[in-house]
Amino acid sequence: MVPVLAVDNEYLFGLIGKFLAREDAGPRHDYGHLGADPRAGILEPWRFPWVDAVYDPDDAAQAYNAVTFVHAAADRQPGHAVQVAGSFADLHTPLPLLPLADTHYATLTLRIRKGEVHHYRLRIDGVWQVDPINPQRMMLDNGVEWSRFFTWGATRRLVLERWESRLLQRLCSHILPFHTADGETFFKRVHDAQGPANRAPHAYRLDESAGAVNFIDKLLAREEAHHLVDYQICLELIDGLLRQRNPVIEPWKLPREVFAELYREMATASVAGWNYGRYGNPRYFLQLLRRHTLTGVFSHPRYGGNAMTLGWKYLEERYRDASGATLFDWGRAIEAPLGRNSAYRG
Amino acid sequence: MERFDVVIIGSGAGGAPIAARLARAGHSVLVLEKGPLLRTQEEHPLGVSDFKRDELFATGAEKRLTLSGVANHFDSFYSSHVEPDLNDEPHIYEGADGLDRATIEGYTAQVVGGGTQLYGAVSLRFSELDLRLGSFNAGRSDIVGDPNGDVRREARDWPIDYATLEPYYCEAERLVGINGTRANQGKPFSADHYQTPYAPNPISAYVATGMDALGLPRYRTPLAVITEDHAPSGRIVPAAAEAAKTGYVNRYGDPLGLKSNTWVALLRPLSGMANFTLRANCVVTHLEMAGDRISKVVYRDVAGRPVEVAGGLVVVACSAIESVRLLLLSGERDPAFAARLNGNGLLGRHFLTHCFGGAEAIMPGRFDKSVSLDSDWATDACASEDFIRSQGLWAGGAIYNNTSDQALPISLARTHGSQDMDTIWQTFVDDTALTGDALNAFFDANFGTRLSVSFMANQVPLFDNRIELHPSIRDKWGRRVAYIRKTWHSHDVHLMNVFAEQCRRILAFGGDGGKGQFPVSEFGAIYMAANARARIANHILGGMRFGSDAADSVLDPNCRAWQFDNLYVTDGAFMPTSGGANPTLTIQANALRVADQLLARL
Repeated sequence: MVPVLAVDNEYLFGLIGKFLAREDAGPRHDYGHLGADPRAGILEPWRFPWVDAVYDPDDAAQAYNAVTFVHAAADRQPGHAVQVAGSFADLHTPLPLLPLADTHYATLTLRIRKGEVHHYRLRIDGVWQVDPINPQRMMLDNGVEWSRFFTWGATRRLVLERWESRLLQRLCSHILPFHTADGETFFKRVHDAQGPANRAPHAYRLDESAGAVNFIDKLLAREEAHHLVDYQICLELIDGLLRQRNPVIEPWKLPREVFAELYREMATASVAGWNYGRYGNPRYFLQLLRRHTLTGVFSHPRYGGNAMTLGWKYLEERYRDASGATLFDWGRAIEAPLGRNSAYRG
Repeated sequence: MERFDVVIIGSGAGGAPIAARLARAGHSVLVLEKGPLLRTQEEHPLGVSDFKRDELFATGAEKRLTLSGVANHFDSFYSSHVEPDLNDEPHIYEGADGLDRATIEGYTAQVVGGGTQLYGAVSLRFSELDLRLGSFNAGRSDIVGDPNGDVRREARDWPIDYATLEPYYCEAERLVGINGTRANQGKPFSADHYQTPYAPNPISAYVATGMDALGLPRYRTPLAVITEDHAPSGRIVPAAAEAAKTGYVNRYGDPLGLKSNTWVALLRPLSGMANFTLRANCVVTHLEMAGDRISKVVYRDVAGRPVEVAGGLVVVACSAIESVRLLLLSGERDPAFAARLNGNGLLGRHFLTHCFGGAEAIMPGRFDKSVSLDSDWATDACASEDFIRSQGLWAGGAIYNNTSDQALPISLARTHGSQDMDTIWQTFVDDTALTGDALNAFFDANFGTRLSVSFMANQVPLFDNRIELHPSIRDKWGRRVAYIRKTWHSHDVHLMNVFAEQCRRILAFGGDGGKGQFPVSEFGAIYMAANARARIANHILGGMRFGSDAADSVLDPNCRAWQFDNLYVTDGAFMPTSGGANPTLTIQANALRVADQLLARL
């Protein structure tokens, strides 16, 4: 039985007002849904269902999130019956969303483990359907469309294909400093320090992108879904280009120099063999990739990057004073168990 | 219709002090706030705060501007989790090229506590001279860059003097909870309520050295962050040493409530009082009048439903641009309202921000800047009459260093070469050479080594600098949005050059132990930015100046609209001049002063 968390109206109002309340439901927002799609009339629809922290004083790992499902009645009238069923609980026992005060909103907050991906559907006035707010959707094998969400630190690939991830990892690695001599020394030390029993789990295998690819996969699945098409087109073009230049080696296995050269060409927006008809500006994609990669490797690990806080640890180790004390003591501010702040709960 | 003794629109620096004082006196008070109530972890049902130490809270994922009719259509923008969305509620400014653009500038934060949730918490007083710049400049012929005598014509004395405001500064410092030091400040103090500041970040020693070498008396920058238990608000400082020094300061809400935003400092302590009501997520759409009184405050609740309430007194304090806009929108619906409020045509006029800028350098040493608050050292040396006259200036300002800026890796990258919130990330993504070893070199050069010194000084008030309603662009409620039309006066340019040079000298003398030869490559001021007309520093002032002459001001000396019996405006809009320091403490002090006037009426 998935536990229901008690939250107050003030918390729920705060999840709703800025994003859903409005007079003009026209397409004001572009998350790849502009036009007739009603989600273009919602601010940041990707925030739904809300995935938040929840503090448990008895759980040192802080292993759970609070996930709040929100339904806003299309007719703006209260009194609709809304239930949710999903992979986080028994699919045959739908859970009711409760009316929020006297409004046309209904909500339910559940405690769900971090690192998971789930699908769900809503039953609205007896009719099962996908969540009309949440843009994340997935097709199950039986051809039925479900809504999807993921909790903090999820590592299952969501929108990138396996080959795309491999190729992307090489591009991210070229941007980041971890493939340098200094970076390799750092990685070896981290790896050795873990000891065989504590080596990173499969999903956090140490690679030179330090989780940046997983971060990008989650970003493209949610906040910046409007850029998924950029990645799909450009990775396909790059794959084709590299196969053309090196017919006998899989692109993601090619030597670093090949990616360095490709990067240089993309920076000038002049890439030999690039299909400009399909994607006009390879430099734009490079800029996008630079922002995503840098953000992924240095942001809070809850977003799926900065695996094992490697980005932060790299700076922590690189910058030290004469006595050996670090000059980036990030753990001092950050919550346990990632950091060691005794007051802040994350 | 519900009735309250007082309805206050906005829960930030201009509204909360009045709510606190009037509620404690037993009057029924309703505070309406457009944004949500985001709480500290101790008061939150999930045991965690809605604010996080998370760089993606300060500047989030990319969004794209869909507004039509603006020159930056389809540009990227990045906002914090409590700033309004530009597609839903933009500010529009007119650029130097005559084209309109949407901007995040001029918004503080839509949240209970307003801008005090995200600000760096610098809590300086204005100088005694800041309040009498009209008389100070009358008859002067030595003001540089003012060929048409605009400064003499437009400068105004405030209708109150420093001595009148001083007790309220003391009271604000006590109630809000501020750390700092009094010695060496250029302003008179009748009481010292400062808490003891934490040790400065070691990088700030360069600034101390530079100020000392130049003979600039320095003091610890007053910051609205408690370092000790704070009895007036009931806040307790955690046992962990210097818990608030995290680098997650400016543009971050504080999950522990140690930053003295107006929620934790002033409003939360009222929570159990039956006569105090706070309604978050409620946007006031307009006011209605009957005779010379505001008869209705109309707002949309969290479900978007219109609700009407009445207040014996109505206080508008939702930040200067939005306050002007609210009153213009009310006048748009009712010409009689417009005529009564704006008979002299000054509503929205003399809009102000600050002259601001500074200097920045890569210092010889590296330090952990993530163990910091927003600022360590300040000086009032450039606010003295001698300095002002010697430089041909009309007014002075404050200089202080920034400690927490670029302290964290993403903020260092995304602000690399950018000038403001509208150009964030641009330089880093353009600088495609920064990869691998070059990226290492970038961090080696910049991480923990950059130090900036800023100035905050008076901007010349000009009739043509104004807030209007945009002719065509509307917000998500179908209301016309604010249109910012402003430029910089030639004297502002001179003043900013003078102050930027002072900032440069502090770093030049601080960087080499007092010889003055340390290279400072970056110094200047905001007028040099490509989008200089948009830049506001989130110091949103003027537009409804107060004064002693009804023909020359919008508000009377008590911040009451001249032709209304019960309408008051207490955010930064009341200021006839912008002061030579960050404005929040002065807005809070003035709000407490106005609260005393309201108490006398109730």
